[in-house]
Amino acid sequence: MDFKLNSLYDNTKNIWNITIEGEIDIYNSSLLKEKLNALIQEHKTDLHINCDKLEYIDSTGLGSLVSVLKKVKQYNGNISLCQLKPNVAKVFKITELNKVFVIEGANND
Amino acid sequence: MTKSASGSNNDDIIELGLPVNPAYVSAARLTASSIANRMGFNIEDIEDIKAAVSEACTYLIKQNSQNRQSMFQIKFILKNKFLEIFISAKKDPSSTDSDEDGLGILMIEALMDDVDLTTPDDTSIQIIMHKKLR
Repeated sequence: MDFKLNSLYDNTKNIWNITIEGEIDIYNSSLLKEKLNALIQEHKTDLHINCDKLEYIDSTGLGSLVSVLKKVKQYNGNISLCQLKPNVAKVFKITELNKVFVIEGANND
Repeated sequence: MTKSASGSNNDDIIELGLPVNPAYVSAARLTASSIANRMGFNIEDIEDIKAAVSEACTYLIKQNSQNRQSMFQIKFILKNKFLEIFISAKKDPSSTDSDEDGLGILMIEALMDDVDLTTPDDTSIQIIMHKKLR
């Protein structure tokens, strides 16, 4: 299983709109980091990630997101995630990374 | 559920051996999810078991980062009221790439009912975990 990342730079809002599909684990988490780092090199803006089709993310995937967030924070940007599946929302909650990232519209109740 | 998934009164045991290679962690997840589903766990618990098995494999792979030739073993014991999982691998003494942020083990502890990380001897490492059927 792999993941697919689509990105579209929104000129008017100055924001990266990103969708991640599939599964992120130790096999591909470094590729996720590379792809996101390439985006913020192109435009130093906020990242808005739609996780509607993200089926699974593990601790190494969370590590990649945290590493990118550190760089984004350096230029006072932010990473927001929306439409998390319940199992994905749960890993953010138990690691307390839901307090580090902006989580919108999680259906985890 | 008073009998095992196969209908026998004995515990069913399923063993899986995988190369210590990140490419096969997804195979461990799929197997865990299929077994948990067959035992009658609900969807949330199946996701918990799947994620915990994945994190345990990842932890052991990180302990063996220099030693991709070796294998790790996963043993699922299907009890009447719970699932017991043993995941073990050789420990590479030269490996320094461990779970430095502690996230993986923290997640396993949050997702499962009981977790035990043991080193049966100097050269191996084992994670034992339980999830109760509700």
